[in-house]
Amino acid sequence: MNLEQISQDRIVKESKLRAFIRQNMSTVSIFGILLAISIFFSIMTNSFLTVNNSLNIIVQVAPNIIVAVVMTFVITTGGIDLSVGSVLALASALTAVLLSNGFGSLATLIVVLIAGIAVGFINGFAIAQFKIPPLIVTLASMIYIRGLALLITGGYSIAILSEHSISQLGQGRVLGVPIAVVFAAIFVALGILLLRSTKYGNYVTGIGINEEAIRRTGVNTVKVKIMTYMLSGGAAALAGMIIATRLGSGSSNIGNMFELDIIAAVVLGGTALFGGAGTVVGSVIGVALIGVIKNGLTLMHVSPYIIQITEGLVLLIAVILNVRVFGKKK
Amino acid sequence: MSSNYRIEMKNIQKSFGEIKSLQGVDLKLKEGEVLGLVGDNGAGKSTLMKTLSGVVVPDAGEFLFEGKQVKIDSPKTAKELNIETVFQDLSLCDTLDVASNMFLGREPVKSMGMLIDKEKLHEKSREALNRLGINISSTKLNVQNMSGGQRQAVAIARAMLFNPKVLIMDEPTAALGVKEVNMVLELINTVKKQGVSVILITHRLQDLFEVCDRITVLYEGKCIDDRPIDEFTLETLIKSIMGVPEGVHAL
Repeated sequence: MNLEQISQDRIVKESKLRAFIRQNMSTVSIFGILLAISIFFSIMTNSFLTVNNSLNIIVQVAPNIIVAVVMTFVITTGGIDLSVGSVLALASALTAVLLSNGFGSLATLIVVLIAGIAVGFINGFAIAQFKIPPLIVTLASMIYIRGLALLITGGYSIAILSEHSISQLGQGRVLGVPIAVVFAAIFVALGILLLRSTKYGNYVTGIGINEEAIRRTGVNTVKVKIMTYMLSGGAAALAGMIIATRLGSGSSNIGNMFELDIIAAVVLGGTALFGGAGTVVGSVIGVALIGVIKNGLTLMHVSPYIIQITEGLVLLIAVILNVRVFGKKK
Repeated sequence: MSSNYRIEMKNIQKSFGEIKSLQGVDLKLKEGEVLGLVGDNGAGKSTLMKTLSGVVVPDAGEFLFEGKQVKIDSPKTAKELNIETVFQDLSLCDTLDVASNMFLGREPVKSMGMLIDKEKLHEKSREALNRLGINISSTKLNVQNMSGGQRQAVAIARAMLFNPKVLIMDEPTAALGVKEVNMVLELINTVKKQGVSVILITHRLQDLFEVCDRITVLYEGKCIDDRPIDEFTLETLIKSIMGVPEGVHAL
């Protein structure tokens, strides 16, 4: 039976490169925008295109990349995690409080990671088991986790002495490369592999486009979703420790609007806003774009308020492109 | 005594809120038999089949598989009994490719189970499509760009992948063109020859006479008629579906 032949003949052959560009249009276009903006800042300032500044940007965005990689998975399942900024603050606060109360570096690392993962578990459990919308669940945890962070620090910043080996997370280098950047690179590599080449990645994509289909094949979708939010909590906790140890202080006030930066970056990169198609590489480009805009405008001595306005408008334009021009379906 | 029945469903009940979808339905299916399951909209056909495929858990009732009592409480347990389903709403994931859709939940793996063995995945999908005579140019195509017939073919190929003993097909021809319907009917006959028991739900009554051995009629959540196909004509079948089976007293 060659009944499918008819429709087959209608498929137009195209080159691999063209197919790649068509399939990854929004990611390719955002990369183009990143290049254009980088060139703009290179021309407008003397300090943008320097080794020092480039390194500075990379170090700045490393924790964002770690969280954005995992946020890509969350959004690809059709979810969202608004609590990452608060988890960042909790991790920062907890790191400082634990260290100043005599905990060792390793114990601190483990406790903080577990705390982040636990928040993710609570988020994921409420979302997957009780079927409460992710926006509401993580909005709630965004609020109470920030409160928890404030409670344990009393609202003050607490110093983290660099003699603790955990400080290496934010300040150390391996072969000249900042450890935070190494972590970010590992997250990106694992993220790409996980999303493209594992069962888990397939289910994450499938859940975002047709959750019932995945459930009917016998996959425990509740488990997949809970796992995704646990990863998100864990990644935010790691990012929080990196930032706290880089700054040398734990504070419950860091990471305000951090979640929005991350979500913006992921959507900028071409991950479908409502799930079903995600790109880790795109998210990295998205994070880089936001990082470059902030850095470049700062170097141009533009008012921080203008920076925020620009960032928001860039996001708006990118999302319109993502949804309308490049026809990303749900 | 019931050993040549592959499936026996006894007194299956299911309510959704106030609505009693299934009010104690019995259903039997022999080895290598094609059973037509018909009834008007809302008669409970799809719900009944969803209990058999583990998607819906019944409130009461029991399942016997090859004479032994079994519990079907999740899609996984149904699949472990080699009960496969082609759902009315296809259950394909648009943004995944053909091969990934076919092996969803049962992907071949490598590297100690960490990674999907993509080479094997595409190779096996290709083999399975060829075995059923389904022509799709690449198993790497995303299904969102495919026609209704191709998508249905992928869904059927997926159900046939793991040598099912029972194949449930819920309206497999609903959205198809004439040629594609013939392909599906031919596919059902092929499957039947391999000893697979098939349950076919369809509104296209003429299809039933082409492939079925027996027909069970549901009416408002109850089984009201169950006879070999040669005891039916199109007219008597329609009467049964309307709730007034000829020569049969309500069970």
